[in-house]
Amino acid sequence: MSRDAGGAPGAHGYRRGPMRTDGWLAALAAELHRHGLGSDLTGHVVAEAAAHLRDSGESPLAAFGPPDTYAAAVAASVGGPAPAPRGRVVGPVRLAARGITKRYRRRTVLADVDLTVRAGEVAAIIGANGSGKSTLLRICAGLARPDRGTVRIDGRLGYCPQDGGVSDFLTADEHFVLIGAGRGLDRSAARRAGLGDAAALDWAPKPGVQARHLSGGTRQKLNLALARLGTPDVLLLDEPYQGFDRGSYLDFWHQVWRWRDGGTAIVVVTHLLNQLDRVDTVLDLTRAEAAA
Amino acid sequence: MEQDRRAQWLRGVLDLCVLGTLAAGESYGYQLAQALDAAGLGPIQGGTLYPVLLRLQRAGLIAARWRGGESGPARKYYRLTAAGETTLRQAATDWSGFAGRVGAILSTGGTAVRTAAGGAQ
Repeated sequence: MSRDAGGAPGAHGYRRGPMRTDGWLAALAAELHRHGLGSDLTGHVVAEAAAHLRDSGESPLAAFGPPDTYAAAVAASVGGPAPAPRGRVVGPVRLAARGITKRYRRRTVLADVDLTVRAGEVAAIIGANGSGKSTLLRICAGLARPDRGTVRIDGRLGYCPQDGGVSDFLTADEHFVLIGAGRGLDRSAARRAGLGDAAALDWAPKPGVQARHLSGGTRQKLNLALARLGTPDVLLLDEPYQGFDRGSYLDFWHQVWRWRDGGTAIVVVTHLLNQLDRVDTVLDLTRAEAAA
Repeated sequence: MEQDRRAQWLRGVLDLCVLGTLAAGESYGYQLAQALDAAGLGPIQGGTLYPVLLRLQRAGLIAARWRGGESGPARKYYRLTAAGETTLRQAATDWSGFAGRVGAILSTGGTAVRTAAGGAQ
């Protein structure tokens, strides 16, 4: 009886609330982390939401909406992932492509394209379908020959193709060991590295499952983890997030920033523009194609 | 429809109303929401209010600090910065000019607009 004195809805919410509120706050913290907000800011936002819920007695869903929606609003209001640490050290040039020209029959796909990426930088290659984005990446990876121009890579190279690159009848584990061996990793080191990158993308490979049984998005996570084996100095990623759900997509960019801050030179082929204000270089191939 | 319009208006001025409320002194999120409700803006959800506070803080218009209450939990208190005061003063002038012009158009049935159009032809 006395419980209802403070107003039935609030009292009701409080009685059933704590478990639900804790779960909601934990989910909010996870979503904020996915958006790449630093742990300081995440802590503040979660603590502030908790204080608000205690003060108001409202249910978290009524006050803030679903955790992922609220996290997205918070991320938008602070401009997305934490910016690179101030005074971030940009290292030596890792990839230098000069005057790359490529023709298929009579069609010029790439005309005199330059791209320079330093250690600790991210470059995005954008452009319409057929503008030569993947071709340029394959040339940088040494998988295709340009008709003119040179590519100089300083360091080890990792390449994640848009599709393929995964063998249907091998498990994730067998992939890690096999590709790792090619990069000088013993079995346990290769497994550890592969599983670590898989976990960062919210994927725990099940033992014994062959790649042909994985979804498209999960195959791409495997592809990414394979490209990362041996921690290459230059990482070439060709739209590696296809088939990812939104959470995994955010995880992916979060990892890109971490690899960058670790000194990797990264090139991402993408048609999604919303991350471009946070990359160091944007190479737009659309114009080159139109001019050709 | 009416509800939509109100929400749109609020989106346009909520940050300024927060600055205006903070001009009266330091406050925290839930208290601000109550003050804005009491001032006649209606209930404002935490999910709407806190991103606005973050944006204002990022822009340097307000500053924040955590303060433990004597009995209750720690709360994040916001206060106006010098830049915030400047922005608020400027916005107050701009807003009354804008609201006055909108009000004139609405209440005179667009006389001013017809006159201007007639002059042009």
